[in-house]
Amino acid sequence: MDEILNYSLADFQYNDNPDVLEPPEDFEAWLQNPRINYCFSFFEQQLLCMPRTTTEIKSNLDQQKRKMINLTSYNYLGLSSHPEVIQAAHEALDKYGTGASGAPLLSGTFDLHIKLAKKLAEFKEQEDCLLFSNGLAGNMGAIQGILRKGDFFILDEKCHKSLVDGGTLSGAKMLFFQHNDMDSLAQMLEKSKGKRTLVAVEGVYSMDGDLVKLPEVLELCHQYQAAIYIDEAHSTLMFGPNGKGVAEHFGLEDKMGVSFGTFSKSFGVVGGFVCSNARLIRYMKCYSSPFHFSCAPSPVMVGALLKSLEVATRDSSLRDKLWENTAYLKKNLLDLKLDLGKTESQVIPIIIGSSGEKLFQMATEIQKRGLFLQPVDFPAVPAHSRRFRISVSSQLTKEEMDKACNIIEDVIVKGLK
Amino acid sequence: MDKEQIYAVVKKYILENLEDLQDSDIDPQKSMKDYGANSLDIIEVVSCSMRELKIKIPRSELADIKTIDELADKFLANMSAEANQ
Ligand SMILES: Cc1ncc(COP(=O)(O)O)c(C=O)c1O
Repeated sequence: MDEILNYSLADFQYNDNPDVLEPPEDFEAWLQNPRINYCFSFFEQQLLCMPRTTTEIKSNLDQQKRKMINLTSYNYLGLSSHPEVIQAAHEALDKYGTGASGAPLLSGTFDLHIKLAKKLAEFKEQEDCLLFSNGLAGNMGAIQGILRKGDFFILDEKCHKSLVDGGTLSGAKMLFFQHNDMDSLAQMLEKSKGKRTLVAVEGVYSMDGDLVKLPEVLELCHQYQAAIYIDEAHSTLMFGPNGKGVAEHFGLEDKMGVSFGTFSKSFGVVGGFVCSNARLIRYMKCYSSPFHFSCAPSPVMVGALLKSLEVATRDSSLRDKLWENTAYLKKNLLDLKLDLGKTESQVIPIIIGSSGEKLFQMATEIQKRGLFLQPVDFPAVPAHSRRFRISVSSQLTKEEMDKACNIIEDVIVKGLK
Repeated sequence: MDKEQIYAVVKKYILENLEDLQDSDIDPQKSMKDYGANSLDIIEVVSCSMRELKIKIPRSELADIKTIDELADKFLANMSAEANQ
């Protein structure tokens, strides 16, 4: 019976149920297992108010409403709940209504969209920018819009699913290099020599919080005449002297072939954007499906985003606070002798090890103690390094961080002994 | 089913999923990666093989497998265990 616990979401992708409207039979059986069912109860827990650093959640574990310290939401700079951003959303709503009511090329482009795209292109030191209603669709659509069958798409093995799916959709040959390993990247570039090649990396890797070795990657790209695509989902508005991202952090912001960002994290809204040279952007407008064949982002979001960008970049106070909080939390967690992997950012994993059972026992206790810190299980991370993942926010107070660390000490540190 | 037959199934899907590969090129002591397979190709080969062999092994148990031969061994062990139940 315990066999069943070795299965994971990695095992049910294929479906041969004769009834096409039913999931695989063994998937249903797996879900019915009380232990698996229990793990699933951590999914889709309802937030009852804004995803602030203290929020309220209706727990799936016992249906209780709980005030919780929130170390899980991607509201890194607190912008989703920022009064000026909310005010800007209200104003856009009053002026433009709720929806764009059209694809961008036909009737969905408002003055707001043009303004935001222009500001983002400037911010990223690129010529132009494409807005998407959804971050995942932005990545997927950019790759699908740029690459064709016969091209090569080389990705760090830890790249996000949206990039992988874009590659699949494009028909390009996909090669994965070992995470941040330049020998492995060179091997892959060797295989694609002479072909149109795009290399994708992330500024901050989302499960480990480490940074791309950008100068080295760029040098290899130059050597092999490959172009570079950087996904700055978890670094835009936070890294670099002006918050432009990890590329700016390395002083290479003007060297990126394509720069992607999402609006769902530091910006506190939803959507994605892709910046590059003006010719490629114009081409993608016609060939990137999630842009061309999909309604433009809601003007309410775009209004909020213009304000998010302004608030986050008019001075460095929000990112300064973020880095102060990150340093404080990291020091306290390291003092507790926890394994934080190779984090160099506001994404801090606490690696527990191979025991899924332990992970979920701890997750339960953490939740009941009033800390919203979600477990991350295989296959999202390797089976030997299951973990909790902290998203630090600039809005955390010292009291909240101290309380969170106390709970982490009581539950995780003691649980690992 | 013996190991040769299992190996033949795995090989069939390797040839089906990887470009520019001849039957005679495949050395079972090597990894699919040596033949240019990416992680998505490997998942495809493993899943198709398991379906045809009517076995199911959790992915978490396949992480340490390095070569095509080891994969065939793992499949064989699983089929023998099933048969003995
Ligand atoms: C690295 C990376 N890229 C892209 C995305 C997709 O962004 P979104 O959630 O805004 O759709 C995410 C987030 O899930 C991500 O972590």
